[in-house]
Amino acid sequence: MAMKPDRIELDLVDQDGGAFTIGHLAGCRSLVYFGFLHCRGVCPRSLAKLADIMAGLGPARDGFRVLYITVDPERDTPEAMKTFLSARYPDFTGLTGPRPAIDRAKASMKAFARRAEDPDDPDGYAMPHTALIYLIDDQGRYLAHFPDTCDAATIVNRLTAATPPF
Amino acid sequence: MGKQRHITLSDEQTGMIDPLQRGHLRRILNLAAQLPDDWSGMMARTSLQEDFGAYRFQLAYMAYALALTHVHRLTAAPGYFRRPFQRLIDKMRSPDVWTYWHYVSTGNGPLNNAQGELPSEWNPIIKDNIMYSAYLQSMALLYHYLFNDDRYARKGALSLVFQPLFWGSEKRYEYDERSLNEHIYWSMVERGYLGIACEPNCVFQICNQVPILGFRLHDLVYGGDIAGEVTQGYLKAWSEFGVLNGNGHFNMMVMEEERVVVTPEAPWADFWLGSLMHAWNADFVKASFPRQIARWARPGPDGTRWIMPPDMMEANEDLASARDFGWAAVCASEVGDLDTRDRLLAYADAYLHSRWTDGGYHYARHDRLYDQDGLFRCMDPHTGNALLAYARLNVPDGLRMLYDGPWDQQHFAAPALDELPETWDVTAARFDARHNRLTVRLESNGDGHDATLHFTGIWGRGDWQLRLDGEMVASGSADGVEHAADGLTAFRMDQNLVLRMPARGPVDLVFQWP
Repeated sequence: MAMKPDRIELDLVDQDGGAFTIGHLAGCRSLVYFGFLHCRGVCPRSLAKLADIMAGLGPARDGFRVLYITVDPERDTPEAMKTFLSARYPDFTGLTGPRPAIDRAKASMKAFARRAEDPDDPDGYAMPHTALIYLIDDQGRYLAHFPDTCDAATIVNRLTAATPPF
Repeated sequence: MGKQRHITLSDEQTGMIDPLQRGHLRRILNLAAQLPDDWSGMMARTSLQEDFGAYRFQLAYMAYALALTHVHRLTAAPGYFRRPFQRLIDKMRSPDVWTYWHYVSTGNGPLNNAQGELPSEWNPIIKDNIMYSAYLQSMALLYHYLFNDDRYARKGALSLVFQPLFWGSEKRYEYDERSLNEHIYWSMVERGYLGIACEPNCVFQICNQVPILGFRLHDLVYGGDIAGEVTQGYLKAWSEFGVLNGNGHFNMMVMEEERVVVTPEAPWADFWLGSLMHAWNADFVKASFPRQIARWARPGPDGTRWIMPPDMMEANEDLASARDFGWAAVCASEVGDLDTRDRLLAYADAYLHSRWTDGGYHYARHDRLYDQDGLFRCMDPHTGNALLAYARLNVPDGLRMLYDGPWDQQHFAAPALDELPETWDVTAARFDARHNRLTVRLESNGDGHDATLHFTGIWGRGDWQLRLDGEMVASGSADGVEHAADGLTAFRMDQNLVLRMPARGPVDLVFQWP
């Protein structure tokens, strides 16, 4: 039944090589984004937007973290994630892992991604994917999501509203 | 009362519909009023509700035709449309309409046999089958938007129930307009916005325009921008295959597993898609239409035009239908090519078995493609009941303007005809806010009973006068009725003004405020 997502499945590895599961969500809500490091279009824009959201939250940012989950684990190893994120988004948590674990995480959030030929990519392929930002609670439960058409300011307003989406 | 009838307003001023348009509406209202599961006049040639003229399509496009007529022509007559619209939605929920899915869900057909035979599924919503679920979604949300009525938002209001008598057990699937919309939305997200399959593995562009319309109506009713998100994702997803093929025709579908586009080039594929996509991608459809109509249209007798069916249909006359013709007329009406629309309708009126039944105008089923003189003569119930009615009742950019959301709460507060006898027709109904005037033209279908009419939005606007065929017959204040002529009863009942009058020929009613 394709109703809204229920709870994220997390059995992944972070950019430092450590296990990352639901238990690691404790303490704050998470903004979750599925993408891949070789993405030339959507991910750079979305990651910049996530950074703008965190900055826009001001003091409230302590209540949120960003999880960047790769849909291309064959290339996006923990080391690759660490190199990329530490240079650009050191506060973000990058997650990768075995393909079946990635697929379970994707499926639990109804995220779409599939391999497609891309002659402009050095490896000859890309991973077209949905560009939703999910909001989950510290138990991994889905609270809300924000589509690509929603800008950072709007998302900040919703997250800090008197009646936020959680 | 009883004086010679005086026409006080021109047809142009009243936005009056013509006799053929009235006939099309009456046909739809008559079919909607048939007893549950009486499909008289709607039965097509193909069994098991598989073809493109199945009940679900007839019901949906009749509902859309009602909606377009209400929004663009008879804006001040919700009472003429509300109950028939409910009946069409009721009929959509009949097992006769959706149980085909138990068989079609098993696949193993020409476009999905690579998956082998799939498990049969009764629930027509849960997976694939956007060719049913999105019509139910869009009809329910369209009803909510048009009539400001949330009855299909209530829990279980769109439940689908099948109770076999002598085998198995009850099948019950509970939905309402929000849960159905949510289900379709997340199904769309899971597929990267390419679309949801009709038959397993078959993602048609056409049928994925319908949920987009539903999403937009959801946005209009509840707020948000689901439609914007999905249309943006849709164009990106289809850029892998092309919305159009290299010849300027719409790609028909993608085989989901194989990621292979199927593009047979057929008039119905061009014009059905164009009719719907025009709602949100008007410039693109308008730019594509001239080349498409030039390819498919043929000159007919006396300046008429007709649409040549694809070779496949000529090769197997068991598949004969007029859907190419019907969708061309609908698309021409939507993109505003009224010359083509009118030439097609003229051909249909002359050669495609037009007839009047119980005051309704339609085109009777005819299973042969051509007559002995080589004239195209085929007609199917979907085209004859719904599509040609849609084409004649629509206005240029009609669906696009509806998609834009023309109405707000001010519309629902305005004076309007809210209830009338089912046997009466409305041929004009408009509130002119500039002149503070409600004009309604009614025509009875000769049953001889008194008519009881309910009007809303009358109170709180100051003193008013009611003229019947130009003669002042009632007047009142902001709060109630002060005078009514002999032979006519007028009184306030809660928020309504109730008017009871004898049956008679066409009548013009004009409410005037200072």
